[in-house]
Amino acid sequence: MAEFITTYGFLIVSMVFAAMLALSLYLPLMTGQLSLASPGFYALGGYIAAVMSTKVFPPTPQGEIFPLVYLLIEMLVAAVASALLAVLIGIPALRLRGIYLALATIAFVEVVRVLSLNLEITGKAIGIFGIPQPFLNKFEYMWIAAPMLILSTWFVYRLERSRVGRAFAALREDELAATAMGVNPTYNKVLSFTMGAVLAGVVGAVSAHFLNTWNARQGTFDAAILYLAFVIIGGSRTYLGPVLGGLLLTALPEVLRALAGVEFLPAFVAQFLVDGRLIIYGLLIALATIFFPQGLITPTMLKRLARRGT
Amino acid sequence: MFKAYRPTRFILFLFILVAALSTQFVFAQDQEPIKIGVAVAQTSNVALLGQEQVIGAQIAEAYFNEKGGVNGRPIQLVLQDTAGDEAGAINAFTTIIADNVVGIVGPTLSQQAFSADPLAEQAQVPVLAPSNTARGIPEIGEYIGRVSAPVAVVAPNAVRAALELDPNIKDVAVFYAQNDAFASSETTTFQETVTALGLNLATVQTFQTTDTDFSAQVTNALALNPQLAIVSGLAADGGNLVRQLREFGFTGLIVGGNGLNTANIFPVCQALCDGIIIAQAYSYAADTPINNEFRTIYKEQQGKEPPQFSAQAFAGVQVFVEALIRLDNIVPLETLDLATTRKLLNVFVLAGGYETPLGPISFTPTGEIVQAQYYVAQIKMNEDGQTGVFTFIR
Repeated sequence: MAEFITTYGFLIVSMVFAAMLALSLYLPLMTGQLSLASPGFYALGGYIAAVMSTKVFPPTPQGEIFPLVYLLIEMLVAAVASALLAVLIGIPALRLRGIYLALATIAFVEVVRVLSLNLEITGKAIGIFGIPQPFLNKFEYMWIAAPMLILSTWFVYRLERSRVGRAFAALREDELAATAMGVNPTYNKVLSFTMGAVLAGVVGAVSAHFLNTWNARQGTFDAAILYLAFVIIGGSRTYLGPVLGGLLLTALPEVLRALAGVEFLPAFVAQFLVDGRLIIYGLLIALATIFFPQGLITPTMLKRLARRGT
Repeated sequence: MFKAYRPTRFILFLFILVAALSTQFVFAQDQEPIKIGVAVAQTSNVALLGQEQVIGAQIAEAYFNEKGGVNGRPIQLVLQDTAGDEAGAINAFTTIIADNVVGIVGPTLSQQAFSADPLAEQAQVPVLAPSNTARGIPEIGEYIGRVSAPVAVVAPNAVRAALELDPNIKDVAVFYAQNDAFASSETTTFQETVTALGLNLATVQTFQTTDTDFSAQVTNALALNPQLAIVSGLAADGGNLVRQLREFGFTGLIVGGNGLNTANIFPVCQALCDGIIIAQAYSYAADTPINNEFRTIYKEQQGKEPPQFSAQAFAGVQVFVEALIRLDNIVPLETLDLATTRKLLNVFVLAGGYETPLGPISFTPTGEIVQAQYYVAQIKMNEDGQTGVFTFIR
């Protein structure tokens, strides 16, 4: 078991982070807004943590670990910064709908990337490296990652059943009808957008430590598409969909890599699993969208399971 | 009504996942081949470089096994794909370390090294970087070294070579791709070299690797009438910039950065590529016994001259093999457990000198390469304007 954790600790924590990033994209989607801004806030949170831990806080003495309190402060700063920026961007951007909002948020992600490539404080193209470690090994990040995932999932689960959540759903189903019934569209859209941004920013702050380094290659447009895939494959109509999508799609390439190590496999199959794992990965995603057009988890499926349970 | 929902299927799925993953640990503790890890980018947009590294490492594996491996015990490469990102590098490193390798050659990019090398340092596994050229790589830890000379050492040679070709150079125009990590660190070196050589840094123009139109930058620079242009970018944009410089009437010498150090720029600037001067950490023309052998094998397999990336990967594997042989001569490897082997191997890697295809190399105590010789090549395009060669002028 210890060996399993040494080898897959990093992967397991990455899966948890991916699940939360998928949730951060799912939150604006609850109001029917396709926003791809999450990677921008993720990058922002990462830079905040990277700069604070390497330049603001006193250097960690050799052989000691980075105090956890500092990490929590960084997460808090990242959350506040992401929230402020999200409100600032959200109010004008959310006047756009559908594909135009998606485009505007892609532009935001690009702005963050180009800024971080050019600013002295973000280390330009090389980025910031030598970020101190608050834990002894990668798996111990679960002490932060697991509570974060449980809290955020529980939060979204409760949200879906609250007054605000029903307002979100109403906006998603029919904005005009919802507005006529007294739901404030701007307020609710900006709220969902901001919640997604805060989650992405906080995950970014922890990720900077987790990856040891932070640069402009983190949280790019490619990442936005990946998060969208998490949501679409997992299911975009219930909170469990994005979580499962993030966990599954992050694990899949590495599981395929590990499968090659199975002893009784013929050599060419093992070789194909190593070299062709991305082909299989792509194929599985394509098949999933064909056979599960609503995503792996749908509200109907949850209802059916619930009925069987009673 | 959701209270009754029991996620049995997910739990079952998780069990299958865990079972699938744990089968990895059923490896036999065989006495036989010594495993050396190679973690480079075999997929993503960095794969072109990574593939060259895989070829170089595999040639080294076959070559040294034919020579008897480590005092009779063969070596075996364990290849893992890092892809082009940081998380991929960490995943590849953890997989490879769990596979009981004695050392790792990799990763491809410097940013990946900043991410994955601390893991190897923590696990006390020696790492030799085959192509990380950024500042600060060997300083990541005592187990981290590199066989790729840092850009600050290699690049100035091209400017010196240009001065030899045209001693009248006074004003220099520098261009660089500001969104590329390598180009933006390389240009700092170029600019420092220009100033150090007493030349006038007339202008610094920036562009993006995705740009195709450079007329603004070229017009700005040519207004100052420079005699030398220095371009740091990647193949497509760098090649286009060179072409537009020439089309706008620039007649001086052009020095290219390492991103232009590939035959892939020939189709971009075609006949106008002629004369670009590029500094090299490796020359296929170097007349040493080991390089001649390496060059012959590479040409037989690939039908072209070996590039720098393959030679550096070869050198990485070679350093591990030769250090293992010296270690085995003093303490037989069978008597050592894996952790001790790794620790001692690191000491032996740093202590030795090696006759590699790159020429004679050794290491500083921190793991930085000490390379005896650098080269400068100039592009000579053929009559057809489509093909060309790098001819070594220094």
